[in-house]
Amino acid sequence: MNLIIDVLTAGVRGGTSILYAGLGETISERAGVINLGTEGSMLLGALAAYMVAADTGNPWLGVLVGGLLGAMLSLLHALLVVWRGANQFASGLTMLFLALGLTSLFGAAYVGRTITPFEVWAIPVLSDIPFIGPIFFEQNALVYLSYLAVPAVWFLLFRTKWGLLIRTAGERSDALTVNGYHVKRVRIAAVTAGGFLAGVGGAQLSIAYTNSWFENMVAGRGFIAVALVIFASWSPIKVMGGAYLFGAALALGPALQARGVGINQFALHVIPFVLTLVVLAVLGRRTISAAPAELKRVFENGPPTT
Amino acid sequence: MTLTDAPPTAQPEWLSTGKKAAPAVVRWAVAILCALAAFSVIIVFKGASPLEVFGDMWVSTFVRPRSLVEILNTMAPIALAALAVVVPARAGMSNVGGEGQLIVGAIAAAGVALATDQFLPGETVMVLMLLAGIVGGAAWAAIAGMLRLVFQVNEAVSTLLLNFVALDLLLFLIYQPWREDPSGQPTSRELVDTAKLPEISGLGIGIGIVIAVVAAIAVFFVLKYTRWGFKLSVVGGNAEAARRAGLHVPVLILSALLVGGALAGIAGMIQFAGIEYKLRAGFGLQIGYIGFLASWLARHRPLPVLLASFVFAALAVAGDSLQLDAQLPAATVSILTAFILIAVLGFTQKKGAAL
Repeated sequence: MNLIIDVLTAGVRGGTSILYAGLGETISERAGVINLGTEGSMLLGALAAYMVAADTGNPWLGVLVGGLLGAMLSLLHALLVVWRGANQFASGLTMLFLALGLTSLFGAAYVGRTITPFEVWAIPVLSDIPFIGPIFFEQNALVYLSYLAVPAVWFLLFRTKWGLLIRTAGERSDALTVNGYHVKRVRIAAVTAGGFLAGVGGAQLSIAYTNSWFENMVAGRGFIAVALVIFASWSPIKVMGGAYLFGAALALGPALQARGVGINQFALHVIPFVLTLVVLAVLGRRTISAAPAELKRVFENGPPTT
Repeated sequence: MTLTDAPPTAQPEWLSTGKKAAPAVVRWAVAILCALAAFSVIIVFKGASPLEVFGDMWVSTFVRPRSLVEILNTMAPIALAALAVVVPARAGMSNVGGEGQLIVGAIAAAGVALATDQFLPGETVMVLMLLAGIVGGAAWAAIAGMLRLVFQVNEAVSTLLLNFVALDLLLFLIYQPWREDPSGQPTSRELVDTAKLPEISGLGIGIGIVIAVVAAIAVFFVLKYTRWGFKLSVVGGNAEAARRAGLHVPVLILSALLVGGALAGIAGMIQFAGIEYKLRAGFGLQIGYIGFLASWLARHRPLPVLLASFVFAALAVAGDSLQLDAQLPAATVSILTAFILIAVLGFTQKKGAAL
C-alpha cells in the first residue's frame, strides 16, 4: 500500500510537467498544428525558470519567464509552419535543436547552483483523506495550479468563443475564412499559448520537481506529451489521466529500487513509451476518427492504409 | 501545404517579383548570412567574440588537414540516416525514427560482434555486422510499419516513440548484460581491432563514407528507374489512385519503411564498427534527427542529401572544436544549425513545396 501511494504521489508530481506540456499541445493540435518543438519549449522553460529562480530567489517569477520563453519558441515554430508553410516535423525538430544549443550555452553556469524551490504544502483537511489525500493534496503549488489548468483549458476550448475559433481552425478552417476570421492568426495564437504551457511544464520540472538544472533534462517528456495528446484523443481531462500514468510509470523504477528490489531501471523506464504505443494501437481507428480534420491532413500526407 | 489558407491563391506581388529577381543562390546566401548574424548576436550576448568563434570554426572546418577526414567520417552515418527518411518520404511517409533504427542496427551489429569477433576472421565479422545492422534497423521500422497497417497508428508518432524504446534497450544492455566493467563507465566491450571497419589506405577516411555514397547513388537509381520506385511515388502522390490502379499499397508502404530502417541500421553499424567501437550511453546521439533534417533540407532527394549531410557533419566537427578552442559547449553549434534551418525554412521554402 505504501508503495502504491509513493508511486502515485511521485507520479502526480513527476507527471505534472508532462501534463502542462500536454495541455499546451492539446490547444495547438486542436488548431491543427503539431508542435514537436514542445520538447524545446520545455527545455527553454526549465532553464529560464531555473536561472530566474536562482538569481532572484523568486520561483513564481521563474515560472512566468519560463512560460514566456516557451511561448516565444513556439511562436517561431508557428510562424514557420503557418506563415511560411514549413514541414511541421522538420520545424519542430529545428526548435528542439535551437533549445538544446541555447540551454547548453547559457545553462552551463547554472549546473550545481541552488535555488529556492517550490515547497510541498499539504492542503489542510483534503490531505487527510485516506489514499487520495497524500497523492493529490500533499504537493507543491505548481501541481495545485495544474488542477486548475485542466478545467481552464477545457473551458477555453469548449465554452468560449476563442475555443470555438481554435477548434474551427482545426476542423473546418474554410468556415473561419468565410466568416471573416484569419485562420493563420488563430493558429499562431493557439500554438504560442500552447508553448507557454510547455514552458511552464519545463519550469515545473526544474524548480518544482528535480530542483536542479542539467543539460537536456527534459529527456523526451515533450515528445511524450505530443503522443499523449493523441492517445487522449485531444481531451484535456484525458490528458491529465495519461500524464499521471506516465508519471507513475517513471516513478515505479526508483520506488522499487529504494525498496531493494533489484530491477534494471531501464526496463521500467521503457514502460510509458510501450504503453503509449499499445494504447495508440488499441484505440487505433477510434483515435483517428476523433482527430481534428486539419490535423489528419498533416498526419495523412501519406496514404490511407487500405 | 497543409496549412495554407483557403485556396492557394497567387503570391503577393512583392514576393513573386522578388522571386524572379532573386535566384536560388541569392536566397540561400541571404538565408545563411541571416543565420550567421543571429548566431553572432547570441555569442555576443554570451560575452564571447563572434569573430574569434567564426575564426575557430573556419580553421577547424577548412584549414586543419585532419578536418576533412573528420567531416567525411562524421558524415557517413548522417547521410545514411537521411536516406532512411528519403525512401519512406517517397511513399508519403514521415520516418522520424532514424534515431531508434540506428540504435537497434548498432545493437544488432554489436551483438553479432560480441558473439563472434574473437574467433572469426575480421572480414567475416564485418559482413555479419552489416547484415545484422540491416536486419536490426529494418525490424525496428517494421514495428512502425505493422502498427500503421494493422492498427492505423501514424508512423511519425510511432517511430518517434520507438526511438525512446530503442534508447532504453541500449541503456539496459550496457548497464547490465553487456557491461564490460561493472565498476567503470557503462559500455560494452570494445570491438577487436581486426573487425573494425578499414580506412581507405593512408587517408584515414573510413570506409563508411564509401558505403554512404554508394547507398545514395543506389537509392537514386532505385527510386528513379525501377518499377518499385515509381510505384512508391504513385502511392506518395495519391494513395487512393494507386489503390484503384491495382497497386498493392500496404506492401509498398511496408517495404519503403523496411528499406528506410535498413539504411538507418547500416548507419548504426558504421557508427559502431567504424567510429565508436563500443556501445555507450550517448551512442549515435541525435544522428537520426539530424538525418531527418538533412533529408528535409535536401527536399527528400537522395543525391542532394549527400551535400546536406556534409554541411551538418561540418557543423558537428566545428562544434567539437568550439569546445576545445573557445571553451563553449559543443552543443552551441546546434544554435547555428537551427538558425540556418530556420532561415532556410523561412526564406527559401517554396510555397506548396512543403511535404
